[in-house]
Amino acid sequence: MSRNRGGKHGRNKPTVGEKGRQVVESIDENNPVIKMFLAFRQELDDKHDRFEKIVKHSRDITIENKRIIFLLHSTNTDVESKKQVVLEEANTRLKQIFEKNFRAVALLLKGFDSYQYQKAYTSGLQEFIEALVFYQYLTSGSFEKWDNINKSFQYMDNGDSISLLFPQIDYILGIADFTGELMRRCINDLGVGNTNDCFKTCNMVKHIYSGFLGIINPGNKELGRKTYVIKQSLAKMELVCYNIQIRGSEIPKHMLLNVIESTDVNTEDDEGYYH
Amino acid sequence: MSSDNIIEHIFTPFQESINSEQDVREEIRNIMKDIEKSLREIVTTLQIIHRTLNGEEISAACFTARSLFNVVQKGFEKLDSVIPEGQYYRYNDHWRYATQRLCFLAALVVFLEKGFLVDKVTTAQILGLHEKSRIHLDLEDYLMGLLNLATELARFAVNSVTFGDYSRPLQISKFVAELNAGFRLLNLKNDSLRKRFDALKYDVKKIEEVVYDLTLRGLVPNSGGGEAVE
Repeated sequence: MSRNRGGKHGRNKPTVGEKGRQVVESIDENNPVIKMFLAFRQELDDKHDRFEKIVKHSRDITIENKRIIFLLHSTNTDVESKKQVVLEEANTRLKQIFEKNFRAVALLLKGFDSYQYQKAYTSGLQEFIEALVFYQYLTSGSFEKWDNINKSFQYMDNGDSISLLFPQIDYILGIADFTGELMRRCINDLGVGNTNDCFKTCNMVKHIYSGFLGIINPGNKELGRKTYVIKQSLAKMELVCYNIQIRGSEIPKHMLLNVIESTDVNTEDDEGYYH
Repeated sequence: MSSDNIIEHIFTPFQESINSEQDVREEIRNIMKDIEKSLREIVTTLQIIHRTLNGEEISAACFTARSLFNVVQKGFEKLDSVIPEGQYYRYNDHWRYATQRLCFLAALVVFLEKGFLVDKVTTAQILGLHEKSRIHLDLEDYLMGLLNLATELARFAVNSVTFGDYSRPLQISKFVAELNAGFRLLNLKNDSLRKRFDALKYDVKKIEEVVYDLTLRGLVPNSGGGEAVE
């Protein structure tokens, strides 16, 4: 739709001309059209405000989760007591997010179609899943199903029970991001000579990757993109395991990392989480 | 859950949810095909306004459009039964564009019949979206329709003059000026509605030029130019 057809009208952008201005000025507050639009203004403003508020919460959630993930990586230590302290703290902070930030989002969405505002908090939600699942993996070696987590997004407000919409796709995409943390973990494990965990972690990612390969979901680009990232992470981890196996007896374990880093494992391309 | 049953616990339920979502989408697509068929028919029917001055022909076109809207209403009735409760915005990509077009057409019919701006409730009634349980008329879709109406009316103003109807552009000019004033009250975000609104000024300008040409030549009915000041 080319409206500005060049030629004689092309020079200036038209504004409301003299005639138009007269009409605009002559319109008063009682004009039915104006009255109607004043009501529309209210409705649109409400919607935008609500959206922005949720985006803000989502951002807070994202930031806090990145910090928690960073914290969880520091559990890679032989000192058991220190490890427990860190896990304890991570757990408390995760609960905080759940009780405070997500609760706030749920309250904002009370009585509204959550799908309308889903885009506003989808990134916070995925980041939360990534941190939560990582925490669960570190404490128990496994993680919860979507069902279970979904059930816990349940809040009470003045006697009303409200549940926060938690689409399964956000869970799956959170898991995809979680494999990035596992890759990092695996390489750190190698760094401290904890080679048994390397195999265990790598194995976990292999299973997750097969799951992603099996998904048929036309039209979701995000899923395909993330599957590709998992593939890359997995390749690094498989190389780590390969090296442990083949050279593990040749050199001290803590030196293996140098060997691998000098080959083609690039451990530096995180998503800018650690700055 | 150990790593061995990840597929069973995580990915199988996910695939199942995708599949059932696809089923719903398929049903929606089928319903929309019917609605869009009526939509196209209404569009072509109403194009008569650019080809004739005959009021009876225009009324007849409006009448045909009204009966086609009845078909549309049946379509939306069906849609209402297919959309799961509270998931309007999960699927609304499928009908957003068609709804906007239909709002435009409903507004055009009401303008041709009565000469005033159709309100949102009436539009919803014409489309068959009023007081449905799961679907409704989105404010933004309605507003988008009104912006499309302005563009159509700009063209209508030009063609009316061609057929010698010199009073129509004045009616359109006043109508679109009010519409413009209304839109200026809104705080639009930087979204598609905003972009579409930014184009409204070109329609306003076009209409003003037509009115100007008429005024200049003393062709404005009722003591030339008197209408413009009012």
